[in-house]
Amino acid sequence: MNAWQLVRVHRGAAAVLALLVLTASLLVAGLPRGFEAAYDDALNVLTGDAVAPQVDVAVRLRPNIEEDEFHDRRAFTDLDQTLRKALPPTLARAVVPGGTSHQSAITWGTPVSGILGRDTPPQRFVDLAWVSNLDEKIRYVEGREPGPPRRLAAVPGNPELKDLPLFEIGLVEEAADIMKMPIGTTVLLGNSYTIAAQVVGLFEAADQSDRFWEHNAELKRVTVRPLPQADEPDLMAVGVIPDEGLRELNARRELYYSWVFGVDGSKINARNAPAMIQAIDDYRQIVEHQAGDHATGIAQIPAAMFELTTGLDQLLDRFLAQLRTAQTLMFLILGGLVVVALGVIALSIQLMAERMRAGLGLARARGGSIGQIARTGTGTVAMIVLPAALLGYAASYLVPGPITPIVHVSPAVIAVATILFAAARLAFAHRKPLLDSRDDLVVPKSSPRRIALELLVIVLALAGAYALRSRGLTTDVAELGSDPFLLLVPAALTLAAALITLRCYPYPLRLIVRLAGRRRGAVPFLGLTLAARSRGATSLPVLILLPALAVSVFGALVSGGIAETQRTAAWQTVGAQARIEREAEIPADVIEKVRALPGVTSVLPVAKGTAQVKTGGQTSTVLAMDLAAYRELVAGSPLVVPDPPVGDGIPALVSKSFAPYPSFEIGWHTRMKLTNVGYIEKLPGLAFETGNLIVMPYEGPKLAGLRDYTNILLVGGDVDQALLKRTVGLADATVETVDAARERIASAPLAQTIIASFTIVTVALAAYALAAVIIALVIGAADRARALSFLRTLGLSQGQARLLTVLEVAPLIVLASLAGLALGLALPAALGPGLDLSAYAGIAVTEFPLTLTTPILLAAGLTAVSILGAFGHATTGRRVATALRVGESA
Amino acid sequence: MTTLSDLEAQAVRNRPAFGEHAHILCDNLVRIYKTEGVEVVALQGLDLLIEKGELIAIVGASGSGKSTLLNVLSGLDVPTAGLARVAGMDLLSMTSRDRLRYRRSVVGFIWQQTGRNLLPYLTGLENVLLPMRLAGNKRDARRRADTLLELLGVADCAGRRPGELSGGQQQRIAIAVALANEPEVILADEPTGELDSDTSEEVFGALRSANRELGVTAVIVTHDPLVSEQVDRTVGIRDGRTSSETLRRTSVDGDVIAEEYAVLDRVGRLQLPRDFMNALDMERRVRLELERDHIGVWPSTPGEENND
Repeated sequence: MNAWQLVRVHRGAAAVLALLVLTASLLVAGLPRGFEAAYDDALNVLTGDAVAPQVDVAVRLRPNIEEDEFHDRRAFTDLDQTLRKALPPTLARAVVPGGTSHQSAITWGTPVSGILGRDTPPQRFVDLAWVSNLDEKIRYVEGREPGPPRRLAAVPGNPELKDLPLFEIGLVEEAADIMKMPIGTTVLLGNSYTIAAQVVGLFEAADQSDRFWEHNAELKRVTVRPLPQADEPDLMAVGVIPDEGLRELNARRELYYSWVFGVDGSKINARNAPAMIQAIDDYRQIVEHQAGDHATGIAQIPAAMFELTTGLDQLLDRFLAQLRTAQTLMFLILGGLVVVALGVIALSIQLMAERMRAGLGLARARGGSIGQIARTGTGTVAMIVLPAALLGYAASYLVPGPITPIVHVSPAVIAVATILFAAARLAFAHRKPLLDSRDDLVVPKSSPRRIALELLVIVLALAGAYALRSRGLTTDVAELGSDPFLLLVPAALTLAAALITLRCYPYPLRLIVRLAGRRRGAVPFLGLTLAARSRGATSLPVLILLPALAVSVFGALVSGGIAETQRTAAWQTVGAQARIEREAEIPADVIEKVRALPGVTSVLPVAKGTAQVKTGGQTSTVLAMDLAAYRELVAGSPLVVPDPPVGDGIPALVSKSFAPYPSFEIGWHTRMKLTNVGYIEKLPGLAFETGNLIVMPYEGPKLAGLRDYTNILLVGGDVDQALLKRTVGLADATVETVDAARERIASAPLAQTIIASFTIVTVALAAYALAAVIIALVIGAADRARALSFLRTLGLSQGQARLLTVLEVAPLIVLASLAGLALGLALPAALGPGLDLSAYAGIAVTEFPLTLTTPILLAAGLTAVSILGAFGHATTGRRVATALRVGESA
Repeated sequence: MTTLSDLEAQAVRNRPAFGEHAHILCDNLVRIYKTEGVEVVALQGLDLLIEKGELIAIVGASGSGKSTLLNVLSGLDVPTAGLARVAGMDLLSMTSRDRLRYRRSVVGFIWQQTGRNLLPYLTGLENVLLPMRLAGNKRDARRRADTLLELLGVADCAGRRPGELSGGQQQRIAIAVALANEPEVILADEPTGELDSDTSEEVFGALRSANRELGVTAVIVTHDPLVSEQVDRTVGIRDGRTSSETLRRTSVDGDVIAEEYAVLDRVGRLQLPRDFMNALDMERRVRLELERDHIGVWPSTPGEENND
């Protein structure tokens, strides 16, 4: 008798075991890969959305003395090479040579002290910039490229200025108009150490969307900076100079040099993010702590105060915090799946052991030692399990995603656990050589030790749930890391519920048996009695069904909670079903066009702006809108609208900082006096939550002597974003809809993954539960066949036999399902406060709406499928003659 | 001064111990199956002596303890109390390692169900080789298996699986399996229980030839009169005790004479056959009288009853 022979003989049970191990290996190796891919996608989205200066790493230097200055391109390139060489390996791998990398020297805050040949308007600034790769980034539309600096011997009208450096500069095209500096204009820059600059060319950006401009936005536009106390805003432009210009650019100006290293976001992933943060930290140490240390300082410039600027480390820190939450949740889901999978595998080992029992038992009785028996049996199981696990592991490579150690480890763990369980199970079953134990004796009562252990598990689970609620599972993980005890709480709760169910299920059953006993039909009574007597293998499905259902229901509720919160978040972002917003006024004809769109039920005009509040010199967001109409517009949504302000003059609702003033003046298009009639905290979608807010009636501006003014339209009704955009037809208008916002939140990689994995896991768990019921039935098939064959000789029909089988398993399935359902419904309430799901929903998920439909459907479906499985097994019953033979010889 | 223990030692020393030379010895054997709250006493002080090379049958009603006795003798079950010794090995004090060696080399056994004796997916020959392989006796294993199959008349079944064999052939191969490791004792639990009389004859013949030609002690539990009436000694078991023995001898004129005896244990206990008791309405107590060459047993008279 060798292992291969046993595999061949028991190929049915072997196939079941192989299939289960294969799927389990595939799931535990494949799902983490999927998760990791989603984490990476999420990180890519995050780095993609961030502006280049946030993601890129830049070394900056503000030269203070002559020794710090760089006067030619070569000096920049050399230091660039040195700095690159000093990059820690992790960071160096993410830094790409081209992309947004460049070096620059730019002055700032250089005032125009005069314009040759005409009056000098105040509040004009022109800075000088040299950028290493600017030629590729701009195109001259007028004039020529600037040449090397010259000397200006004298300045007419300014006799004290002699022999000045005269830079040839190129300006962005719009500067010619806005700042009135056409080609040929020569300006004097700086009030001390004055220099001159002559505009020789006007340029435009070669590619507006180039991320390079995110670093150097001030180069491609004129910056307009409004001043509170002045009528005219500050106007600032940057003149670009050629390499030779560096010769004359010195520390007398406010000047800074930059070496920007473009970082390729796709080179950063969830796994190397912590190392990346560390690398940035290390690099910061290298770059910033070299002053006064010329022996080791990489730049070899004494006293130069280098500075590292990047937002990447903070960005990654934030991401890692989110990631830990996600990982915790994935761990919970995956943990539930592994528990159930191992349970079903244990059950199929039980089946295999049961099938091999006769053969191994005979060998044991004929002089096989326990070692020989266990070796043969375990060898058989290993022969089934190892290829299956390997196949599952190989199949997991079809799932796209990066490979982490868990991908390799988990199939191995499954295989080893299965084989060890089989070895233990066989050694235990055959420790005594007697072929049959006497099964006519009563079942021994549980030992006090076992009861104490079960009580301990229950108490620990409850204590864990309490600790989880009070301390949180995912909160603070960023700082503290996950708490393994708390991570085990959901599993412990499930186990506790299963233990309680196993202990208590005879009680309701007894009642039902008593009721069934009073009825005339014998089948229900017999079936339920068999159910009450069933033990051993039949209790395992409870331990599988219950967690399966609990995890599924928990998943459904969490998905529901997330979906509901996504909806709330979408409404809070948009503020209505659709919002059209523009800085300038929205023309009346556009409003009419929107109103006329099919599907639009109402359109609410709103005026929004920023007002100067005369009291305390603060600014505030001001909204002029009809709150009563707005309330109607958003009825049925999660948004809450306060009562409209009513009162004398111009009544207004105000936020906290203005609450003490009964009335105050604001400057918004004109001066208007507002009467404080109530408090408003926030209006999501219309105003930032943190800022000051004033809400007045839509007629407010009119009451102040102006006319109605609209720059926001809130639209009610079902309307498509694209159609709305087309209809509005204003390029500078923002059009947002709830559907689009929700889509955007829901399509975030993490949110998508969590929902998808809940679905996959629910399906897998349902399949496992079904498999568990069928395997349990097959294990008990011989005993059942004996009982049935006896009953069939007494006149039991085939149909009644089927009913008997179903009745035998149904009570346990139904009770386990009910317990699983109850636990699944209770889990979000128990764990909810400890789970931070804001990463998936945009805002914190605080409520898990108790929609019973999905969970009950899940429970009913699972129960029905399991009972149908039992029915199917019973239907493939044998004929009387076969049954009788089985009864005799089994 | 002579102490009580000295006297006891002296008494024991002078007389041979009970069943000292027996091949199989059971003395006051007790086996109790115990689970919480319920005890089933399967053997209640059973005594049995079997000489080396003997072929005996054990008979008894269902539940009388026959199978338990056989399980104990085969080393599959451990008695609760008493003494059980087979081929000089004490079955109560054996370690599990001894027990394994015992099952490998001292006993062989045959069950009633033909399907239970053989692995259905192994051929006859492979089934015979299995115990030898388990025991690590690889040398000459094949030759011995062939010899055994030949001896039992099933050499032609060597390459066939049990499913392709008749019940009788299966049981004869089962006997070959039991004999594979050259045991000193073979135990058979209703070996002909599932067979018709002709086939039973064949199987019993095989057992007898094993007993005679290999010198193996054979203990057969049986209901089959065909078997029980052909052995030299039949032991009856009732309520977990040996109650009677039937000895057969061949008279000078060739007739088989069977004489049934009641078993008297060492402390003088005796089971009266139930029929005898019923016939004389014996209950609770009897009157004994010692005669010159026998003991008379009388039912207690009504007057005596009243004096109770």
